[in-house]
Amino acid sequence: MNNRFFSSLALRNIKSNKQLYIPYLLSSITIIMMFYLMASLLDNEFVQERSSSLSPLFVLGTVVIGIFSVIFILYTNSFLIKRRKKEIGLYGILGLEKKHVAKILFFETVFTSILSIAAGLVGGLIFGRLFFMLLNYMVRLPVDIIYSTSSLIVLATVGLFLAIFGITFLYNVSQFTFANPIKLLKGKQEGEKEPKGSIILFILSLVFLAWGYGISVTIPDPLEAITKFFLAVLLVIIGTYLLFISGSIFILKALKKNKQIYYRPGAFISISGMLYRMKQNAVGLANICILASMVIIAVSTTLTIFIGAEETLENRFPYENNMTLFGDVEDVEEMNTRFFELQDRVQNTVNAEGLEVTESESYRYATFFGGVQGNEFVFDESYADQENPTVLMVLPLEDFNGMTGKSYTLDDDAALYYHSTNAYTDSELTLGNKTYRVAEVANEFGEDMDLVESMAIVVPDASHLLEIQEDFKEQYPETNYLTIDAEVGWNTSGTEEQKEALAKQFNGEYGLGAGGSNLYDSRLLQREEWYGMNGGFLFLGIFLGLLFTIGTVLITYFKQVSEGFDDREKFQIMQKVGLDRETIQESTRSQIVWMFVLPIVIATIHVIFAYPIVRKLLLIFGVTNETTWLLSFVGVVIAFAAIYWVIYRLTSKTYYSIVK
Amino acid sequence: MTLLEIKNLKKVYTARFSNQQTEALTTVNFSIEAGEFVSIMGESGSGKTTLLNIISTLDDATSGEVFLEGSPLSKIKDKEISAFRRNTLGFIFQDFNLLDNFTIKDNILLPLVLSKTPVKEMEERLMPIVKNLGIEAHIDKFPYEVSGGQKQRVAVARALITQPKIILADEPTGALDSKASQNLMEILKGINEAGQTILMVTHSAQAASFSNRILFIRDGAVYHEIYRGDAPAEQFMDRISKSLKVLSSRGEQDE
Ligand SMILES: Nc1ncnc2c1ncn2[C@@H]1O[C@H](COP(=O)(O)OP(=O)(O)OP(=O)(O)O)[C@@H](O)[C@H]1O
Ligand SMILES: [Mg+2]
Repeated sequence: MNNRFFSSLALRNIKSNKQLYIPYLLSSITIIMMFYLMASLLDNEFVQERSSSLSPLFVLGTVVIGIFSVIFILYTNSFLIKRRKKEIGLYGILGLEKKHVAKILFFETVFTSILSIAAGLVGGLIFGRLFFMLLNYMVRLPVDIIYSTSSLIVLATVGLFLAIFGITFLYNVSQFTFANPIKLLKGKQEGEKEPKGSIILFILSLVFLAWGYGISVTIPDPLEAITKFFLAVLLVIIGTYLLFISGSIFILKALKKNKQIYYRPGAFISISGMLYRMKQNAVGLANICILASMVIIAVSTTLTIFIGAEETLENRFPYENNMTLFGDVEDVEEMNTRFFELQDRVQNTVNAEGLEVTESESYRYATFFGGVQGNEFVFDESYADQENPTVLMVLPLEDFNGMTGKSYTLDDDAALYYHSTNAYTDSELTLGNKTYRVAEVANEFGEDMDLVESMAIVVPDASHLLEIQEDFKEQYPETNYLTIDAEVGWNTSGTEEQKEALAKQFNGEYGLGAGGSNLYDSRLLQREEWYGMNGGFLFLGIFLGLLFTIGTVLITYFKQVSEGFDDREKFQIMQKVGLDRETIQESTRSQIVWMFVLPIVIATIHVIFAYPIVRKLLLIFGVTNETTWLLSFVGVVIAFAAIYWVIYRLTSKTYYSIVK
Repeated sequence: MTLLEIKNLKKVYTARFSNQQTEALTTVNFSIEAGEFVSIMGESGSGKTTLLNIISTLDDATSGEVFLEGSPLSKIKDKEISAFRRNTLGFIFQDFNLLDNFTIKDNILLPLVLSKTPVKEMEERLMPIVKNLGIEAHIDKFPYEVSGGQKQRVAVARALITQPKIILADEPTGALDSKASQNLMEILKGINEAGQTILMVTHSAQAASFSNRILFIRDGAVYHEIYRGDAPAEQFMDRISKSLKVLSSRGEQDE
């Protein structure tokens, strides 16, 4: 018997098991397509260039879909092979050796994997291009986002899925080599056994969930959020699978024990059916739940970024015109004159155009890196020390009062402070050689303060800034970064055109291209690009949302169709002994709670717990408005529930038409 | 009292992709009294299953009518047909048709659950039946955990639990060995003696010898019938075998 014989036998098997293989192939193709599309985004120009925190998030997304692919393909494969046990058991009884059976399985795997990988790649390419075209048309960004891919990504995709299909092959072979033929013949009939130690699994699931949720709830700052996000997501995914596996079995068994509930036609059929394939059922539900959470998070956050574009623009550029004055390391004191000269120049330039400065803000500050230990600020000369991550900003009272419109007065040994983590409660603080009596104030320094652990200290006047710097320089002669910088921002009167003309004038003199130690930014000039970037995020969000929604459709479809074929015979028997159509419908209806409500509710809980960590991530993108986020979150949950409802209804109709 | 009456029943199958027609039943006429145990015998392809399916309302006749207690089955509305099947008929199949996702107990209770019977009543009905059939030790097992003979007894329990007017059995011993067949037939006989009407299709003369009357069908019509009367089992078996021989030799002569 040569390979040709086995390969043609394998091909024939696939054809004669069309009913099983078509949903299997369709879902494999789609999941490969999803992974390939997601991985291609890693290479995308927009993703790489627009924000440094975007790339790691997409790496995370790709890894999550990768893990998901493994679980999903193993899940669908186990479904398939279980239904074929009898057929393959027959080979053994008819006299084929185990290694021959393995050969047949090998060729089957080769055919299905080649077909699904090839179709997945082609489909991904076409879908990616088409969908980006469509989205570009809909979102109308100033510059189109181009879908691109590379041979490296193709290679990675092929490699990953060959490995996954390889695992399915090994799994299938092990199913047949370690089982006796009689068991195989009965394979399809036997129900799934409850996993051992399901109580332990249940406790473990709670531990994982609590751990993942805990990371999110206690996350101190956005930079930490980026690094820990991945771990939290992973923990919650594992927790979800364990929870569904142990929890659903737990609940189903409890329902079965309650005779008044169990012995009603709809529940009788659906509960026993779910218990019969409890693990499969649980994994399917967990898959749906995880995808639902991903859709909700991806779309609601990017929607928030998009809706909040104007607000984030204002956070980033608090005034129509903003100027940062970078101090001189060699001549620190110079700032105290430049600061005032520049403000006069601005005033004169504006007036020269016949306009007026309507609002303005300006302050000088010195920045120190280090950490608070006891009631002393310990300076870090290298400013790269992980142990001392605090950013300290010291500014003179004069500027603070001007900026806030308040009129604090301070004795020579007194200071005001704000601490982003609110951890500092001492009434004294030592800076350099000087100890201040300190009083806490609210955050008047902008939302940026909360991005990383920071502290702001208001000292009596500008000479204190210099003194403190002198002290630290004495203590640490190597230090080379101490300067006094300043921010100046102002709004003017006038029409949009006049403002734009003025902005261009300033931009020519102080803009990014002009060089020099003063950097000018105009909100007006930045606006278009800002919207383009936020539109780009929304674009990606919708794209991911769509990708995950397709995944949800796929799983729901696969679940319903394969279970439909599984249940068909049972329903035929039950119809013979007097099951009517209404009861069939009733039993499919009592699935709703499981198939529809449960995944959506748990996904919503996940997202609620993800709120703190996602909020910190959003801070990086300048989003500070929680109302926008909450509203778009609620909106997306409702919208997704509606879409999933349609998916659920359509697929459960398919199920009904298969079994009836 | 006449329980079941079959008048001029005819069934023609039309093949799905051609106009070729198979006349499975030409004209069937017979009736069954309440409390009878009737067997139907005949060669393979003679139309036994077809006849039973029509009586079970699983299939429609081309013409003719089946009356149950005087009322025609064809008048039952589509909506009521499942309830009718559940409450009036009990089925025993050759391949048991038990459901793997239910325990033995739930398999037996299935028709009652579908009729929304109160839990208490279901349990009251269950125990005497399973005790009588000797399967009370297995009621919490699943079908793949019990033997073929036990499975068929479960099917009998499922047929009995609705207290049907008539039990319809299609080759109930077909998948059982001779000892299990004997055992099952004794059970059916006992049930019949307790008043239950049974109509059974079988190939086995031994199984048929447990009934009080045997109808032989050939070429889609009742060809011959014999009554057991007071004859002892062996003598009745003898008559059955002879009838079967005559039946098949006539068949050969015809060709
Ligand atoms: N669905 C169908 N379509 C077409 N012809 C059919 C169909 N079912 C049965 N027949 C034909 O009707 C005839 C009677 O079949 P039936 O199944 O009633 O025989 P039977 O007496 O039960 O045979 P056996 O003892 O082998 O079970 C046969 O010739 C069969 O081929
Ligand atoms: Mg038959």
